[in-house]
Amino acid sequence: MYGNFDIMSKISVSLPEPGGRVSLSFEERSVWVQLISLLLVLGGYFIVAQQMVSRGVTELVVFAPVFAVAVVLMVVVTVAGHIVAALVSRPEGQDERDRLISWRAESQSGWLVATGVLAGITAMVFSVPTVWVAHLLLFSLFLSEILKLTLQLTYYRRGI
Amino acid sequence: MAVAIRNQIRVLRFHHGEMTQQQLAEQVGVTRQTINAIEAGKYSPSLEVAFLIALVFAKPLEEVFQFDGQLPGA
Repeated sequence: MYGNFDIMSKISVSLPEPGGRVSLSFEERSVWVQLISLLLVLGGYFIVAQQMVSRGVTELVVFAPVFAVAVVLMVVVTVAGHIVAALVSRPEGQDERDRLISWRAESQSGWLVATGVLAGITAMVFSVPTVWVAHLLLFSLFLSEILKLTLQLTYYRRGI
Repeated sequence: MAVAIRNQIRVLRFHHGEMTQQQLAEQVGVTRQTINAIEAGKYSPSLEVAFLIALVFAKPLEEVFQFDGQLPGA
C-alpha cells in the first residue's frame, strides 16, 4: 500500500500487536462493579431469605426490612466501587460501542424477566404463597441482570 | 469474533507522527478502548465514526477500511 516493505516491517515492531489485551475503560469497570455488588449483596439477600423460609418465615412483610438493607448496601457498594473505578480510569462517558454492547446484552437477557413474570403469574393461578411469588419475580430480575452484565463483559473482551 | 472489515488505522497512526490511540479517540469522540477494539477487529464502527476516522487521516474511507465480504448468494 505504501510501497515500502521496510517501513511496514518497522511498524509491526514498533506498534502493539492487534488483539492484545485492552485496558478496561471506566464503563467496563462500571459493569464489573455492578456485577460484583449484585452478586455479593443481592446474592447474600437470597441466602438470608432462603434461611428465613427454611425457619418457617412465610410472611412477606418480614422480608421487607432485610430487602431494604440489601438495597441500601447495594447502593453503598456500587457508589464505593464507582469511586474506585473513577480513580483508576477517568470517566469518559458512554460512546457508541458502550451503548451497542449495553443494548445487545439487554436484548439477550430480557427473556429471563419475562419468563419469571410468566412463572409468577402461573404460580398465582395455583395459589402459591405470596412470599414465593415475590421471590420468584425478584430472582428472575436478579438472574436477568447477572446475564446482562456477564454478556456485556463478554462483548467488551471478545468483541461485538 | 470474525469480521470481514479490515482497517489500516495502526499504519495510518504511525504515518501521522505516531499518533496515539488516545489522540485519535479524542478527535473522533470515542474512548481509547473503542479505537483499540476497532484496530483489533473486535468492533466495526458506525459509518459516522468510520468517516470521522478517515477525516482525521485525510484519506478516503476505502483507504482506511476494507471490506472482504461477499454479497449473499454470490
